[in-house]
Amino acid sequence: MAVSSSSNLLVLLLLISSLDWLSTPGSTFLMGWDHVTSSAPPEPHFTKCISRDLETFRCWWSPGNFHNLSTPGALRVFYNKKDSPTSEWKECPEYIHSNRECFFDAEHTSVWITYCMQLRSQNVTYFNEDDCFTVENIVRPDPPVSLNWTLLNVSPSGVSYDVMVNWEPPPSADVSLGWMRIEYEIQYRKTNTTNWKALKIQPHTQQTIYGLHIGTEYEVHIRCRMQAFTKFGEFSDPIFILVTEIPSKGHESTFQLTLVFVFGVVGILIVIMIIVVSQQHRLMMILLPPVPAPKIKGIDPELLKKGKLDELNLVLSGGGMGGLSTYAPDFYQDEPWVEFIEVDAENADNGEKEDNQGSDTQRLLGQPQPIIHHMNTGCSNAISFPDDDSGRASCYDPDLPDQDTLMLMATLLPGQPENVEASFDIVERAPAAEGVKQPLVQTQTGEPQTWVNTDFYAQVSNVMPSGGVVLSPGQQLRIQESSESATEEVTQKKEKEHISSEDTDQKKQKELKFQLLVVDPEGSGYTTEGNAWQISTHLSSSMPGEGYQTIHPQPVETRPAATAENNQSPYILPDSPQSQFFTPVADYTVVQEVDSQHSLLLNPPPRQSPPPCLTQHPLKALPAMPVGYITPDLLGNLSP
Amino acid sequence: MEKEKETAARKRGEMAHRKTSGSKLLMTVLYMVAACSAIPISDLLDRASQRSDTLHSLSATLTQELDSHFPPIGRMIMPRPSMCHTSSLQTPIDKEQALQVSESDLLSLARSLLQAWVDPLVVLSTSANTLPHPAQSNISNKIQELQQHSKNLGDGLDILSGKMGPAAQTISLLPYRGGNDIGQDKISKLTNFHFLLSCFRRDSHKIDSFLKVLRCRAAKMLPEMC
Repeated sequence: MAVSSSSNLLVLLLLISSLDWLSTPGSTFLMGWDHVTSSAPPEPHFTKCISRDLETFRCWWSPGNFHNLSTPGALRVFYNKKDSPTSEWKECPEYIHSNRECFFDAEHTSVWITYCMQLRSQNVTYFNEDDCFTVENIVRPDPPVSLNWTLLNVSPSGVSYDVMVNWEPPPSADVSLGWMRIEYEIQYRKTNTTNWKALKIQPHTQQTIYGLHIGTEYEVHIRCRMQAFTKFGEFSDPIFILVTEIPSKGHESTFQLTLVFVFGVVGILIVIMIIVVSQQHRLMMILLPPVPAPKIKGIDPELLKKGKLDELNLVLSGGGMGGLSTYAPDFYQDEPWVEFIEVDAENADNGEKEDNQGSDTQRLLGQPQPIIHHMNTGCSNAISFPDDDSGRASCYDPDLPDQDTLMLMATLLPGQPENVEASFDIVERAPAAEGVKQPLVQTQTGEPQTWVNTDFYAQVSNVMPSGGVVLSPGQQLRIQESSESATEEVTQKKEKEHISSEDTDQKKQKELKFQLLVVDPEGSGYTTEGNAWQISTHLSSSMPGEGYQTIHPQPVETRPAATAENNQSPYILPDSPQSQFFTPVADYTVVQEVDSQHSLLLNPPPRQSPPPCLTQHPLKALPAMPVGYITPDLLGNLSP
Repeated sequence: MEKEKETAARKRGEMAHRKTSGSKLLMTVLYMVAACSAIPISDLLDRASQRSDTLHSLSATLTQELDSHFPPIGRMIMPRPSMCHTSSLQTPIDKEQALQVSESDLLSLARSLLQAWVDPLVVLSTSANTLPHPAQSNISNKIQELQQHSKNLGDGLDILSGKMGPAAQTISLLPYRGGNDIGQDKISKLTNFHFLLSCFRRDSHKIDSFLKVLRCRAAKMLPEMC
């Protein structure tokens, strides 16, 4: 019990003395607390003791309220260096009275040894036990020197930059011998602001400041302390960092341009994709315009659609509406830009370019060009013929005139060439024509051909004085031996029996080379030359003497033609009574006339066979002919 | 037959002889290689001084932690650092003296100091477990780290001393006479704990300073080492 009470007393004593002790500012420099107590003690006391280099140190005192002791010499400083148990108090080795400072030089400074300081007046000793310290604990190094900065880099956006700050250790601190190890703290702030930003404390003599802003001035200062100690020295004088706009605009502008370009392209692509995916028809029409359907003037485009063959035949044959006359209703009122299939009568002269024979055949062949050309080029645009090359050139593949020629040949020259190759040769011999007419003409200038039993081709049975051509099947025609000359004659041959299925005896007739004009009124385009070529080659491999053979165009975007077993003509014969006249020519469509708008009028031919003199005015009406317009899908329905 | 056996035996013997000589040669080569590829002293010193850095930082942190929660009420009655058990060791006390002492002596002093703290650290560690302090767990962990680093440094210095001559091998004994108990009551416990720790902090600074001076001396060619 006694022990506990004595210990309690001891604790009480301690508490009391601690209060007294806490008020003494002299001990503050021992504690590592950098704040000064608000109340200064009245008696003389030491204000601070500081070492700058771990080799010397200084102590400052204050007389407190005892102003009579403020005169120099009134107070004396004594210290006790407790390096041995029998140490004694000694007086300050060096006074600096003006500062009330006591300086301990290197001889009197020992590290790791406790110093106790005392102030003595005449007869009073002012001593605080806590004014004892070891030198290493009171070290506050001088600020570093030679603080400067270099620009490290600038961000690509040109907004921020990095700076490398470097400095020298304080000259008073002996770092080179390893006696003092110092670590540094950099602080920076925007000029005229109040908050300093401190970087990480580190022992090296350089540090990078990241993320400074262009055009803003910064203030930087530095201080240091001994490693693993707590007391920092004073701050150095600040330096100022200011980086203005970098003149190398090209760099950042290039960067920005690239960004804009990339994002723009990506954005456009995304928008297009969205439009396509969402299938907004209106927008899709604008972005990806569809291929227009064939537009024949006077014919309702509805008729050209699938399954409406009868009406179309009716119209074409002139029934009901008077045919394709100028009085035909304008079905394309809302599309004023539509250009119709036209036939240019003047182009008939072009047919005589190569061969100035001026034969009927040429003219004959010159006239139906619109159809064939129209069908052959595969262009989605209707072609107007007055211009030879324009309009067609864009749709025209220079390689394909030969095929084009062949098409023409095949369609207009019934009969059978010796072989397709021969005809092809002819075609190829023709110089690259700017127009269909040329090769067309030249096909005739070739080897003698015998067109035998070309059921598939429209045989010209008659040439009208008006310039129209009567196409009739089943008539044998022979091209005259005058190969040089444009011996036309769409030879009509083609017995009807060839059309029939029992055409096996037609084998002796050369392989039927015919080409099916696959017309797709749906508007996905006409058989291209390529298709025609393929059709012809396909045909060449087909069984000879088979009668009509239809060809499936590849790629089969159009409806495939009827099978090869189709013995019937590719052209459906309308059931109109007018067709009777045309029993022998039931397959073919006769171009009746070309009206003023250069559209083809398909009419039954007149009874008489006019001399094959084409007048210069091909715009006369041809006799109406019951003709049928067959669409490829209907070919499948044809029975042999 | 016998002759054949003899030759075979001789051959075997020769082979064995060759083997042993070969292995000897191999050992020699290995030893030489090991000797030649020994770590230079400056490197060892560098590592040692890094370790002493850590040690000193740890002790400083520990002291701060102790002081933060525990205002040194009892400081006035705290034993003076001159009463540390290592105060009897004569060490350089300023820069001049430190520069005059030889390297081996410096190393010996460092090793002696380190050795003197092995036992007290154990005492500190055990007392930390029951220290009446708010940050007791942190302090306890740090004491254990201190022990670990101290041991590492001691081992490193032992290796180093082997390369620096006989003077470096001598260690002055500085026994700790404080016993295992640092006090019964809370105040004395804290006081003694604080006192011991401050002694350790002073000594760790000494060790660090000596090693740094040694390092700078050894790295004359490489001023950036200092």
